[in-house]
Amino acid sequence: MVIWRKCSEKPRYLVLDFLKVNMKTPMSVLRLPRGPEPNSRGFDPNSPRFIALCATSISASKESETDAASLQTEQRARSVMRERFLRCLLSMANKKIQFHMYEKVTVDATFGASDIDVLNFQVSDLQTPIGVQKEALIRCQDVISYSFDM
Amino acid sequence: MAMRQTPLTCSGHTRPVVDVAFSGITPFGYFLISACKDGKPMLRQGDTGDWIGTFLGHKGAVWGATLNTDATKAATAAADFTAKVWDAVSGAEVLTLAHKHIVKSVNFTKDSNCLLTGGNDKLIRIYDLNAPDEDRSVRLWDRNTLEAVKTLSFDTSVSNMEYLADGDVVLITYGKTIAFYNAHSLDLIKTVDTPANIHSASLHPEKEFVVAGGDDFKIYKYDYGTMEELESYKGHFGPVHCVRFSPDGELYASGSEDGTLRLWQTAVGKTYGLWKCVLPEDLVSENPEPLYPVPAEIKA
Repeated sequence: MVIWRKCSEKPRYLVLDFLKVNMKTPMSVLRLPRGPEPNSRGFDPNSPRFIALCATSISASKESETDAASLQTEQRARSVMRERFLRCLLSMANKKIQFHMYEKVTVDATFGASDIDVLNFQVSDLQTPIGVQKEALIRCQDVISYSFDM
Repeated sequence: MAMRQTPLTCSGHTRPVVDVAFSGITPFGYFLISACKDGKPMLRQGDTGDWIGTFLGHKGAVWGATLNTDATKAATAAADFTAKVWDAVSGAEVLTLAHKHIVKSVNFTKDSNCLLTGGNDKLIRIYDLNAPDEDRSVRLWDRNTLEAVKTLSFDTSVSNMEYLADGDVVLITYGKTIAFYNAHSLDLIKTVDTPANIHSASLHPEKEFVVAGGDDFKIYKYDYGTMEELESYKGHFGPVHCVRFSPDGELYASGSEDGTLRLWQTAVGKTYGLWKCVLPEDLVSENPEPLYPVPAEIKA
């Protein structure tokens, strides 16, 4: 914002007025807002809010009378399935996998690794109708199923 | 001595930010959700802008996002023809509601039991979240013949609306105008004309101010009583798509085509959230707390 003065007045006041108006002290900040973590989708399970409110996805616990026994059985079953899935991922390393995807797409590739949230699979030598992709990322949500020989 | 506004820029989105919404005040503070064309809406702490989590699952641009009052549920509207309901504590997807076209807007009812959706299929749908599969709980309203409610028509398309339940006011933006209506009778209370096409505006919870943003990249602040323009702030590098006040009125958030979300103080100079009032003499003295007077490049 510039303040113009009548031309009869000495020009040096013009500069001082300009400085006074534009030298407002800027508001200080403690730090900048924290940005997203690159490899995680967040929702820290150790945050006080999560611990206090965590709506568990275990269906048995949603019922008002929580049957401790059925909860335990369900939890055990989930642990077994999860372990089996992780072992499956380990055994897939460097093997040729057939991915069955949406739109009746089937592609072959050599499995590399999965990311922590199982959102992307890193593969090599992806065979596509338009050529072989040496290195590629397959979006897991696009995959319906996959098969391989152990 | 007057202080100059320092907005807080929340980065993380990779495409334009098209919608922003605050939750109510919860025992853990208040929260903010941002909808982005990159398909990944984010949950942030409302007073600091700190990222909490990203809701992953949509296959298209997310046009609308909202939180329920206690920030336990989130809902999003996307170009993949679905609206999704999420657990806002764990980030898990709870429900997907298929639509016949792009869904642009979502909102919870105050008791969080129902979800309203609106989009390019020109219908407003209400879903009972406790029984979303039962067809009889979905009601369809034709946009032009809203039963038992007055219809308002405009010469230019309506860009945004905000409903203040406590103040019984509906704020509607269209063209360069911001209009305020009585929420029950839909009688016009007052309007204000702005210098640019406004995409979104928000009324302060105590009805002291109105903030707005639009095509000229600036954020405008008006006194609600006199409708006088109080301030305008430059800072965004693209058109401002959405502006919302926090539930306590202490700050407002703006989302822009430039892919950022910015937090602005209502009362510049107040110590709140990440903002700390430092008098010039304090900057020179021995101060154990690390305070950063903002370098020139980041100033509004």
